[in-house]
Amino acid sequence: MLSRVADAVFWMARYMERTDNILRALRTNYIASQDEIQNFDWQLWVEGLGPEGYVSKTNPTYREALHHLLLNRENNTSLLVNVARARENARSVQDYITKEVWQCINDYYHLIRDPHTEQLLLANDPVTAFDNLLRESTLFYGTVDITMNRGEGYSFLNIGKYIERLLRSLDILELKIKELESGGSEVTQWKYLLYSLSGYEFHTKYYRTVLSTENVIHQVILNMQFPHSALYCLSQTNRYFKRLDVISVPENFKEMEFMLGRAVSNLRYGGHEQKNIEQVKSLVLRTKTEIKDLSQKLASLYFGYS
Amino acid sequence: MSFAALLSEYATRPNIWDEMCLKGEVRDHYKVFFETLSQISPAELAKKDELAKKLFMSQGITFTVYSDGEGIEKIFPFDIIPRIITATEWTHIERGIKQRIKALNIFLRDIYHDQFIIKDGVIPASLIHSCPNFLREMVGVDVPFDIYTHISGIDLIRDSDGSFYVLEDNLRTPSGVSYMLENRSMTYRIFPGLLPKSNVRSVKDYPDLLLKNLLSLSNRQKSEPTVVLLTPGIFNSAYFEHTTLARLMGIELVEGRDLVVDNAKVYMKTTAGLKQVDVIYRRVDDEFIDPLIFNPNSILGVSGLYYAYRKGNVAIVNAPGNGVADDKAVYLFVPQMIKYYLNEEPILKTVPTYAMENKEHFQHVFSNINKMVIKKTNESGGYGMLMGHAVTEKEVSEYRKEVEKNPRHFIAQPIISLSSVPCFINNKIQPRHVDLRPFALNGPQGIEIVPGGLTRVALREGSLVVNSSQGGGSKDTWILG
Repeated sequence: MLSRVADAVFWMARYMERTDNILRALRTNYIASQDEIQNFDWQLWVEGLGPEGYVSKTNPTYREALHHLLLNRENNTSLLVNVARARENARSVQDYITKEVWQCINDYYHLIRDPHTEQLLLANDPVTAFDNLLRESTLFYGTVDITMNRGEGYSFLNIGKYIERLLRSLDILELKIKELESGGSEVTQWKYLLYSLSGYEFHTKYYRTVLSTENVIHQVILNMQFPHSALYCLSQTNRYFKRLDVISVPENFKEMEFMLGRAVSNLRYGGHEQKNIEQVKSLVLRTKTEIKDLSQKLASLYFGYS
Repeated sequence: MSFAALLSEYATRPNIWDEMCLKGEVRDHYKVFFETLSQISPAELAKKDELAKKLFMSQGITFTVYSDGEGIEKIFPFDIIPRIITATEWTHIERGIKQRIKALNIFLRDIYHDQFIIKDGVIPASLIHSCPNFLREMVGVDVPFDIYTHISGIDLIRDSDGSFYVLEDNLRTPSGVSYMLENRSMTYRIFPGLLPKSNVRSVKDYPDLLLKNLLSLSNRQKSEPTVVLLTPGIFNSAYFEHTTLARLMGIELVEGRDLVVDNAKVYMKTTAGLKQVDVIYRRVDDEFIDPLIFNPNSILGVSGLYYAYRKGNVAIVNAPGNGVADDKAVYLFVPQMIKYYLNEEPILKTVPTYAMENKEHFQHVFSNINKMVIKKTNESGGYGMLMGHAVTEKEVSEYRKEVEKNPRHFIAQPIISLSSVPCFINNKIQPRHVDLRPFALNGPQGIEIVPGGLTRVALREGSLVVNSSQGGGSKDTWILG
């Protein structure tokens, strides 16, 4: 396939995954802020989800924060901008993806720009807005699954999806650690971390004990049954990458294969040594750097068309 | 609303051929449709109209107007009432277009090789050499199967007596065919059951016919030649059409930056390295296809593409240089071409055309300006026109100065009052003027025309300008079997 098309499909998947992950996290934390966690620190979230090093001038109210994170066109990392970018990428490969996938992203775009969505967020029940948007997002996954062919493009799409999911899981973990450091109950924070990653129910079934830091970290970093764990995402990335074997230039494939294999091992064997939060933080940082390098390598070896 | 009430409300204008009504009676071929229409209330029609808009929006059949980063999505206006053409009318149109394309294609071959038509004094040499779209670079170049006009869109209009005239030949990169396809798929959503009941011929074959022709142009002895569609990119207003055609044909949609020329061969950049391209269906104008030969500032094309083409290593569709045949001043010689090359009488009429270079014509046109339209020979999209019946004296005198500066670039024609068809506007059925653009495909096995076309409609009351850039919309076009 065309390098440009592979690139656009990869980024389309990343933007869609990012939007979905952030939506779920925001929905959970908005609910937490209304009920269990008094004085929820929205500034931390606005800064944490903004561009690197972003500092918010004021401490926003929940509605201001939601608007900024979801709909603010001036905010380069808002979900509306994400969806618009996913759509631009989809548009530039409209002939490659199926008509159904394109229509799905296009509908999502029109929904997030609909004044009704803004009204729900600013004046009505934000959870309804979250649910409407998440429904579109879920439709996207299903449509991709049942309409897209399993060729090369599907591999790039999934590589994008899992790289992004891994980064988002680690980001949300980092944010929760920050929240913990500024006070609050450990159990409550971990609970909402798991809710944000759609993993609380799984946790209770799998670990069958009271929430402990050790189990939570295990689930988020290493649990292979948990679709948002870092190791699961990285293994999936590796799995979809291996499918590219037949079409790749052999030396490019080898180079990427080596990097990915090393990253999987580092995480799998490094992940077991986490004794305290400081160690978790450094593992997260190391993994993120490794993934960013991987992503850049992929771009230069497979998408290098300019 | 009853049949009679609906009909009495529909006010046709005198001296204009209405496609549906003749002297207050519904023509036979509109009866089935009209019956159905009279059983639908205006409120329900309005709902259908709304549905069509929603479908266009959600399917992304839109073009984007970029103002500040994030674009505004617009849809090309679509009128829900189809335009109906009888089988007899279509046979006539089809024969006429085939004849015309055949002659124009021979003309292009001739003009870029021996120029017999000039030597025999049928067309003045000055007319050709002063045409900005005559490409000297094409002289002596042999193109595959001697075909230049692979895809053409011929604009037809109907005068007050109902006869068809050719208004314009579009032989470069005619657009609109995706709307022919999409408008049809709107119709079965809006009027379920009506298409089979009315015996309407299908337009679905278009992509298959086009692909068959494109594949046959490959120069390499290869079972699966690589065919690509070259688009200027997502900012082009016809981008939707490019993606639709690429998708329907299953070919790669490429931008200039996806291609590279090496050793006079064209390659596309894929994840597995370079892959040779055999046929390029380009939707980029001549001027932009190769910065080394044409516009050096263009980033839409590919450096070296033209060289690869001349060497015969890649086919380009349509051939470069076709602009010399659809120039509006050359248009007036098409009937002579048909006689000269085919020894036949033209089947379709041409609109009388005055070359403004000719002093007598110039005088005649400006003394009858209220009946005339003056056009630039190389503009399309309804730009740069002067419609004599609707302008002030000041505008006329300003335009006249323009014409005097460069008369070769202008022609004039009497205003033809395009036929009218029923449209659903402001919750009422009202007549509006239309033209018709069928799409002809010219391949090694001959010329084929899918039974259908794009009907463009001037949505403003009384307006004769159907171009989408000037407030025009489109309709589904039914050819009855």
